[in-house]
Amino acid sequence: MSFEVAIRWTEILLGFAFAQQSLEHLYAKAGARALFFARLLLAILLIVGIQTAWAAYLLLLLALVMLHRFQGPYNGGADRMGLLILCCLCLVYFLPTQRWKEIAFGYLALQLVLSYFISGWVKIVNSDWRNGTALRDVFIFSAYPVSGSLRAWSESPRALFILSWGVILFELLFPVSLLSNISLAIALVIAAIFHFSNACLFGLNRFFWVWVAAYPSILWFQNRIMATGY
Amino acid sequence: MLHTLKLLIPALVPSWRFFDIIAPSPRVQFTLLSAEDEEPQSWHTFRPRPANLSFIQMLGRMLWNPHWNESLFIASCAERLMETPTEHSENEIMQRILCDLASGVISNDSPEVSHLQFRLLVVERHGDRLQEDPVYYSHVEPIPRQDAV
Repeated sequence: MSFEVAIRWTEILLGFAFAQQSLEHLYAKAGARALFFARLLLAILLIVGIQTAWAAYLLLLLALVMLHRFQGPYNGGADRMGLLILCCLCLVYFLPTQRWKEIAFGYLALQLVLSYFISGWVKIVNSDWRNGTALRDVFIFSAYPVSGSLRAWSESPRALFILSWGVILFELLFPVSLLSNISLAIALVIAAIFHFSNACLFGLNRFFWVWVAAYPSILWFQNRIMATGY
Repeated sequence: MLHTLKLLIPALVPSWRFFDIIAPSPRVQFTLLSAEDEEPQSWHTFRPRPANLSFIQMLGRMLWNPHWNESLFIASCAERLMETPTEHSENEIMQRILCDLASGVISNDSPEVSHLQFRLLVVERHGDRLQEDPVYYSHVEPIPRQDAV
């Protein structure tokens, strides 16, 4: 995937993620509707490819206003990843040379790899994750399961043990997938299924759309590394 | 401005420590009072999760999930209140309870109800047993009259 194509896909996917979030906020009764209406319009500009640089700069400004309004991210990690992608896009538009633009976009690819690897690392060093207790706790008392019936999954320790190790190993091994186009494509499909499962079970739909928006960066990065070696 | 920029830093240099530990989890409960100084008699869970959700409903929530995402934000505010109480976090939760009350999501048939309070319970596992303890009580908020909302 070329640099230009990867940037364009990032604009479209991030624009979609922001538009989806903004529509949800416009529906919410206690939200800051004017902010999210402006965000929706700017996200549409990103999607259709009109004045994308100015749209991104204004989205970044709005993001700062929202950070102030909610005294932090509204939806934790999903908002942080969205903001990271947006900052990297703004740098790509702003920086003067192709080399610096690529460094900014490469930073996004690096953070995407780290988002999986570090998540796996902090789990494998925790004995509760290694023996399946942590995932059991997620189902039994955390705020995340979307229905009462999902709490019953906590009564299947063997399945949760296998699931825990599946998640840990996938996250830790994700960087290895950069070795080839095919292994990366397979890893990204598995990662998307992982985020889709989290969206279904824990209602984390925003993570799915935002993380997918970062995938063009890693596809470009892998091509770049394999083609030039640096 | 400086504070807002400080909030930006975790997005630029993220820690990515998702679910590293499963911390005690907050629950929001509220009570409706007929006077500011009335002793609460009963507490109700705010936005209880549904008993069941079909796969089709889960698929729909991939695109449209405002209610749940707001509930996750309320959980974040509750966690912030447990760590460092701020007026902002308390107001964010209070406003959403008031909204649900005004829109009829929370039923209130009693004309005597005039005030609202919420509390936070922390749920954690001790061995095989789950324990719930109240850890925070909000101020008592007057409920705006329906025609004033």
